[in-house]
Amino acid sequence: MIRAIQAVAQSLLLRLDNLFNHLFGPESNPLYQLGAITYFLFWIILGSGLYLYAFYRTGVQEAFDSVEAITHAQWYLGGVMRSLHRYASDGMVLTVLIHMARNFAMNRLSGFRAFSWITGIVALLFLYISGINGYWLVWDRLAQFVAVATTEWLDWFPIFSSPLVRNFLIQESLNDRFFSLLSFAHLGIPLMMLALVVVHTQRVSGARTHPSLPLAVGWSLMLLGLALFRPAVSQGRADLSTVPAQVNLDWFFLPSYPLIYAWSPGRLWALIGGALAFLLLLPALTRTRRPREGFRITTVPTVRAFSAKPGETILEAGLRQGVRLPYVCRDGACGACKGTILHGEVEYGVYQAQTLTQAERSAGRALFCRAMPLSDLEIEYYENELQKQAPVRLLTCTVHAMRRVAPDVMMLWLRPCTDEPLRFFAGQYLDVLLDVGARRSFSFANPPHDNDLIELHIRRIEGGRFTSHVFSQMRVGEELRIEGPLGTFPQDDDVPTIFLAGATGFAPVKSMLEHRFHVGSRTRMLLYWGVRSRADLYMADLASAWQREHPNFAFVPVLSAPLAEDQWQGRTGLVHEAVLADFPDLKGFRIYACGSMQMVQAARPAFLAQGLPEDMCISDAFLIAAQRDAAAKVAIA
Amino acid sequence: MNAALRYLGQAVAYAAFAVTLGYFSTSPAYQQLPPDYALIKLSFSHAAQRKQPCRERTPEELSRLPRNMRIAKDCPRERSNVVVEMDMDDQTLYHGVLPPSGLAHDGASSVYRRLPVRAGTHHLVLRLKDTEQGDFGFIRDATVTLEPGRVMVIDFKADAPGAGGWVLHGVGQP
Repeated sequence: MIRAIQAVAQSLLLRLDNLFNHLFGPESNPLYQLGAITYFLFWIILGSGLYLYAFYRTGVQEAFDSVEAITHAQWYLGGVMRSLHRYASDGMVLTVLIHMARNFAMNRLSGFRAFSWITGIVALLFLYISGINGYWLVWDRLAQFVAVATTEWLDWFPIFSSPLVRNFLIQESLNDRFFSLLSFAHLGIPLMMLALVVVHTQRVSGARTHPSLPLAVGWSLMLLGLALFRPAVSQGRADLSTVPAQVNLDWFFLPSYPLIYAWSPGRLWALIGGALAFLLLLPALTRTRRPREGFRITTVPTVRAFSAKPGETILEAGLRQGVRLPYVCRDGACGACKGTILHGEVEYGVYQAQTLTQAERSAGRALFCRAMPLSDLEIEYYENELQKQAPVRLLTCTVHAMRRVAPDVMMLWLRPCTDEPLRFFAGQYLDVLLDVGARRSFSFANPPHDNDLIELHIRRIEGGRFTSHVFSQMRVGEELRIEGPLGTFPQDDDVPTIFLAGATGFAPVKSMLEHRFHVGSRTRMLLYWGVRSRADLYMADLASAWQREHPNFAFVPVLSAPLAEDQWQGRTGLVHEAVLADFPDLKGFRIYACGSMQMVQAARPAFLAQGLPEDMCISDAFLIAAQRDAAAKVAIA
Repeated sequence: MNAALRYLGQAVAYAAFAVTLGYFSTSPAYQQLPPDYALIKLSFSHAAQRKQPCRERTPEELSRLPRNMRIAKDCPRERSNVVVEMDMDDQTLYHGVLPPSGLAHDGASSVYRRLPVRAGTHHLVLRLKDTEQGDFGFIRDATVTLEPGRVMVIDFKADAPGAGGWVLHGVGQP
């Protein structure tokens, strides 16, 4: 029976999703962001509530009078705030109920999701208590009805020595302190609800708590329009000597109240208790038999491994364990999460038919937001979009040119033996594949937009097999096998940036700088290039030319062991110490440190100690760890 | 779908949502009480007499008690039920036997009854008995006029001045 209801609801929801996808686009479909919209409405309620609280007076007479003054004397602000408070609260009930219905229809409430389902229901109770409590504060005819009806309903339980409703028998029964208590409760209960909702949300991998900008704007305008065209008003001062015979009920918060009188308080308790018990039991009633153990998921070409709990989708499992699989709607409609299953079986789940065709399924494609593993899986995954745009390739190249620019540095230009140039991003690197299975890594020194040739800066390593070959035997025309581009590098260009290059660590820096100059970056950039002696500054002229041509760029060469014949007048010492000396406070900077491991290991802690935020220090050593764990601020130089 | 149609569709969707919110936040109106009705609320909290009167303990009984509990009087805590009757225009509108509250049945007996009645002039007889034996000790006979939509609260305070401890709030009396 429940399955049949779910099937019908799924079918309806998918049609509605489809319609809304056409109207709003998957990235702003409100049905995919119900939780985020609910959060947004809460902030509106909180903001407008705090404003109203500033003008609200606690007292039997003052409560109503102050709300009237807020509503009418300052209708343009107080009145609007009151209406926003009301309509955002009503909207919150609606979004929460649709959110619940959606998760029920999509059967996302059992197994590990039961926690979120149950905390969500408890949060819903808090929402109702908070809303009903709010209506009392106005102390109008509706408040009188709600207060009397609530206490009559609560009195059905014979746990109070004297009926609660006796507090509302006659006007003299009330006192001003009662309204102080109500207003404190109206602050405390929503805050408790917020705490519960945060717990509810934290258990969902990658849960969205902010709606997209178009949705936020749309909802704000809608609520504002409603507030202006149909302002929330009071329903006459409460008078306990008369019955509020007819009241304009808020049917979002108070739909059960007529049943107190149409049925009886006891029957309403039975209805609400039964409904609540049913909702809390739903996870058990809809549980699908699944293996007790989860499955292992491995990814290629970016090698990651993570596990999926029983009933967990590939996307949820990935997000939970830091694998940033792409997604937008998470509801099988937009196709942003579509990926390739290389090995293993999945349950495809419910999704929009046009999003994943039968042909695609046959080709191993699946929507990771809906697909649940039925065995261990191997899936295709690129660490980020950059890798997708610049896929890793195995290529044969010929040495197009070579020039010794320093005693220990050779510049190589490779030409790929393919019609399609190698696409890469500034800061990435390639591996030269050697005959015996060994490989050597070198950064791209040319910028991505100038990729007919691949420029490498190779420093001779004493006894190094490949570099010795480069310096002694390599000739133009020789063939090399390479794999690349590899690694990622953040492309953020939003804060002043210091490039710290050690020796041929200049290569990736050159690529990044030339790319930035090419795209017209106006960010302040500084290059600190540290080498042993003057001869090792093999492209100092180029860096000096950049400084002349770009006012936002400065070049600081630093020699650690200048020779006498260098007649060096510039900075000396370790390159990172020059940065530390020039910038006592590194807060507000980003630093790319490209060079030897020793340089990076010495520089990084010193920079952090001098105020550089940890996520703003991007380095070789940091990169390796970050690739495993975070997939974001990473680089291999 | 072209951009204009999309924006139009979004506007329609938002408008539909706004209409839903705007309408159901106050409508339809709920009629709690028919227009020609008034409401009587019978409610009081009254501690009835003890079931048994206090008595003097015999010297033998006192000697059997621990030294710190040797009190001459023995007063059983349990109270009687409160029996209440309310007749309107010679018809019984309410009859209740109200037990005392508390685990030891030594608390007050309470009642709250919500009784919608037709508006107009009515003859009321209120009776209350709070002893184990005997007849109703508190009787009030009154003719009241209830206007439509008015609430008449009937309370009971044994020490209230006037007839029979019954207190009538919000009522016109001819």
